[in-house]
Order: sequence, then structure tokens, then C-alpha cells
Amino acid sequence: MKRKWNRLIPLIITVGQVVVFPYYVIWLKGVSLTFTLFAWLFATHSFSAAWGYRTFQTKKNKQKSHISFVYFGMGCAYLVVGQFNIEMDLLPYIALILQVLLGFLQGYFRAWHVEQDSYHLHAVNHYILVGWIMISLSFIKIISPVVIISMFGWLLCGCGLLKMLGKNVSN
Amino acid sequence: MKRIVKSPWILCFLVLIIVILVAFNIPIEKRKYGLAQSGMTTDYTGLLPEHVDRVVKATNRTDLQNIVKQANLEGKHISIAGLQHSQGGHTYYKDGIVIDMRTFNKVMEVNKQEKTVRVEAGASWEDVQKAVQPYGLALKVTQSQSIFTIGGSLSVNAHGRDIRFGPMADMVKEITLLTPKGDIKTIRKNDALMGYVLGGYGLFGVILDVTLDLTDNELYTIHTNKMKTSEYESYFKDVQSNAEIAMHYARVSVAPSSFLDEMYAIDYYKTGKYDQKTKLKEESFVHLTKYSLDMGRQGGFLEDLFWNTQNLYMKQIENSQITRNNVMRSESTFMEFTKPGKVEVLQEFFVPVGEYGEYMKDLKQFLPANDADDDFKIHNITIRYAAKDKTTSLNYAKEDMLGLVILIQHGLQEDDVQNAKKMIQKWTDITLTHGGTYYLPYYPYQTKEQFKESYTNWKDFKDEKQKLDPNEVFINNFYQNYLK
Repeated sequence: MKRKWNRLIPLIITVGQVVVFPYYVIWLKGVSLTFTLFAWLFATHSFSAAWGYRTFQTKKNKQKSHISFVYFGMGCAYLVVGQFNIEMDLLPYIALILQVLLGFLQGYFRAWHVEQDSYHLHAVNHYILVGWIMISLSFIKIISPVVIISMFGWLLCGCGLLKMLGKNVSN
Repeated sequence: MKRIVKSPWILCFLVLIIVILVAFNIPIEKRKYGLAQSGMTTDYTGLLPEHVDRVVKATNRTDLQNIVKQANLEGKHISIAGLQHSQGGHTYYKDGIVIDMRTFNKVMEVNKQEKTVRVEAGASWEDVQKAVQPYGLALKVTQSQSIFTIGGSLSVNAHGRDIRFGPMADMVKEITLLTPKGDIKTIRKNDALMGYVLGGYGLFGVILDVTLDLTDNELYTIHTNKMKTSEYESYFKDVQSNAEIAMHYARVSVAPSSFLDEMYAIDYYKTGKYDQKTKLKEESFVHLTKYSLDMGRQGGFLEDLFWNTQNLYMKQIENSQITRNNVMRSESTFMEFTKPGKVEVLQEFFVPVGEYGEYMKDLKQFLPANDADDDFKIHNITIRYAAKDKTTSLNYAKEDMLGLVILIQHGLQEDDVQNAKKMIQKWTDITLTHGGTYYLPYYPYQTKEQFKESYTNWKDFKDEKQKLDPNEVFINNFYQNYLK
């Protein structure tokens, strides 16, 4: 059972990231005052993801991945998005920090994930699940993006907790 | 490239650089306002939304003439809009036509010998500065910021930091006017009509172009002085009598610990040098100044901190040099305020120079020193000199006056607006008891009685308006509010 969960969590996370992406983009568009800033925020995410990816790749002891903290970190970032009022003056700056954090953690997570045995199996399931979930979400007309983002944040924190508990039990 | 991708630390450094670049380029959110035919038209504060019939972009004189003649025949009303920084619905009227002058913005001629510039009314002061600066010329009188249109500033008879060339009306040599009957007429200095068009709030026709007197783009040295408010009156009289000082303004503390007690004055001393090469300054450190002002906007000890920061800045600029053109183009973006449910408005009160000390004492009795928990907050008071004006009919400076430009924030709920009205009407009463007046381009918090007491010539202004524009073709919310 424990092993099954450990195999499933990365799938939940990759699917969730894609599903939450359109909602996150809506939020980010609202925060960015111009298209230039919007594009620059994406660029920041991309560079940070490269940094995160490379950080894992160059890690000497890959068994000590701290992946549960990565889940927590991503979860907290999404929860922060859900907590801030869209009208706040400082939101673009907060979004910038979140883009760095999310980029780094997502890059790190991806680098870790590709080295897992289940990665190739996940890839197929990932595409199918995303397709079904997006069709389902299209029927939900009135929902604030921050609700979905926050829900995903809690889910990630839950995954982090499960992963941590699983690790403690095996120890 | 390979090395960059290999090392996480180089990638980390790259992210850091990107973050710094992005952080410094995050734009400042600007107020959304302006002309709209589908939605509601507003001016800068957005306080008086109104539906208009149509917006016409000014392109050529004949089309404008036709619009005015047609409006006479059809009983339509016309308002004139530039950049719409007036705050009392001066640029539109319910179901009326709005002529958008921003497209009528050519600098037609710069005459170096006569030191004049002829410019279309929709051009901004910035456009004029760009055109005259290469000739070593500068404006005689204008506001401290260059973002306004020429037509708009002349229609409100604006004033600024200059203390030597009199009111703005005095630098206007000639105006080409599209009259309420649709004729194009040239009016010159000393023509009686000049006094109604200048400071006439767009009620006597469309200013098509103007010829303005210029002066040399002199280089000044900045000197700043911190003082008690009680000392300013005599300080200013010394400034006036010192021919070496060309420009001047002052700022009064609105911070709780020194509320209306402390001031600093900025004087621009002539150097005798003239400048043709220094570039017109652009906005700089906008984020820094914007967030400093935002800090002051919180009130309480943060407003004290903001005042102390301004004092430090004053020390920094002491003895630095600046051209006349650059004095007349201060930054404006840092003042943007977009907090939902709140609005920032301007008011300006004028008092005779000799009344300043007593007036400030009365204000201190009336205004709370710490407004951190109040809805009605004062964020800034700047002092400008307004020279005695013998030209305009709606005249705010019947003698040499000091103008207090006040930046106020209040809520948009009905109660908040009513409270702001009550405060500003009381403030106006205090001003009137000192022989003062208030400025008309802003939101009309004042009563009609206060208007009549401030502008004793209002009846003559109204009679002339009815004589020259019997069909009330040129009309706006300002006219509706005070003169209808």
C-alpha cells in the first residue's frame, strides 16, 4: 500500500501541475500589469526551473532527495497565491518570488522524477488523466482560480506529509 | 553556454540577475479614466462618471467649425477635453459631444529671435519643451509637471514654481479661438475676450492654437531651507525681494510629530549661465519615490518617517544645478494611486501672502495632526506663489497669493464623500475669512455660496458667457454645478 502511494504521488503532482496551470496563468495575468511583465515572469520561472533541475542533477547523494520538502514548498507557494488579494500593490513582487520558488522546485522535482522507475508509465497516465480532468473542469463554470490553486496547494502539502510519514515508517 | 548549463551556481546567479531586472521594471499601476462612448466618461479622479453622446477627435479646423455650427442648429452641447487632469467634470457633459484635443498637438513654430512658440492646444507642455529646448529656450510660466495639455492649462489659468513672470495668462501673446458660433478668431493680449478664455474652463470656445512668450533656459542652483511654519511668511518676502531667485516652492509637514509646524523651501538661484545642451530629464527612481509616498500614505509614524526622508533628500539636492526646463518637468508617475474604494483628490486654497502665518495657525486648530485612523487623510501640502492676476475674469489671485496645493485621500462610500465635503467646506470657510479663494479645476466639494464669495466677478463671467454663447453650446459639469 505504502509503496503504491509512493509511486502514485509523483503522478498526482505532475497531473495537478498541468491541471492547475490554466488557473495559475489567469492569476498571473491579473497580477502582471503588462504583457512584458507577464512574459518576464514566465522567463524567471523557466530560468529557475533550469537551476532547480541542474541542482538535483549535480547532487552527489541522489537517495537523499528531500522530495517531501519539495512537495511542501510547492504546496505553500500555491497556498500563498490563494491568500493574497488581487488588488494588493505588492502582488507583482510576490508573484516574482513565487515564480522563482515554483520554478526551482518544479525543475528539481522533474529532475528527480525522470530518474524514478515509474516515470515512463506515469507519462502515458499523465496525459490521459489530464485530458479527463480538464474536460470535467470545463463543466464547472463559476469558480475562482485561487480556489483551485489553493486546493492544489493543500493537496501538495498532503502529499508532502504522506511522503514524510512513509519515510519515517520505513526508517 | 555549456558551462552555464552545467553549473547550478551560474544558473542561480542568472536567476538573481533576472529577478533584479524584473523587480526594477515592474510598472506602476495607473489610474484608469478617460473618454468612452460605450461606457461612462470620467476625468482623472473618476468621481463624476457620465454618459456622453460621442467623442470626436480633433483633426482639422474646418471639421471642428462644422461640429460647432451643427451643434448650434441642433441644440447640442459640446465639451472640450485634453488629458483630463481636471477633476470636476470640466471636460464632458451629460449626453454631450466631447472634442478630444489630444490629436491637435503640433508645435507650429519656434521663433528664436522673438522668443515665442506657436503651438496647437492639444500638445502637452512636454511637447513644447522638446521643441524649444534645442534653441536654449524655456517656458516662462507652467506647472511643475509637463504632462498637461496647453489648452487645458490655459483654461484653468494654471501656475507653478516661477515667481517672476506673473500668472500664466501673462505669457499668452495670441490665441486662435473657435468661437461658440463657429467662427475662427484671433485674440491678442489686452483683448477683453482673453480674460474669459484664459481661466474660462472651456466655456468660451475651443482654443485652437496659442502663441506663448518664452525666456532663456537658464541654469539654476538649488538651495533648500528647513524652517518653522511661522517663519515662512517673512522668509518668502525675502525671497520675493531677492532678484537672484527665479523660482521657488515650499512643502509643509503633514507628519504627526511636526504637523503644520515644519516646512522646507526650495529656491532656484540664477547662475547667469544658459543651457542648450542638458537633456530634458526623464522620470527616474519611480519605484523608490512611489513606495516612499505609499509609506507616507499609511499615516502615523510612517508619515513621520516619510517626512524625515524628504528632509534627507533636500540635503542631497542642496547646491545642485538644474535647468529651467527641468524644474518645470517634475516626476508624476510616483503619485499614482489605485487603491480600490479610495480616491486621491487635489484641492488648492489661496491666501494673501500677509495672511499665511495666521491662516496656518487656524488650520492647525481645525485639522487633526494624526489622521492614520481617519478616512479623510492629508498626504501632502505644497506651497506655490500665485502672482496678482489682472487678466482673467474668474480670478483666484486678486493680490499676491500663496497657494496651498493639498493632496487628500478619502473613501468612495457616500458617508466618506459627505465627510470629505464637510471638511473641505469648513476649510474653504477658514480660507475665505482670511481673504482667500479656492481653485476651480478640482472636484466641487464647495457650495455655490462659497463659489460666489470666492469669485466675486462670477456674475460678469456668466453674463459674458450668455452673451457670447446664447445657445449654451460649450458647456460642462463645472458650468452646470456653479453657473447654471
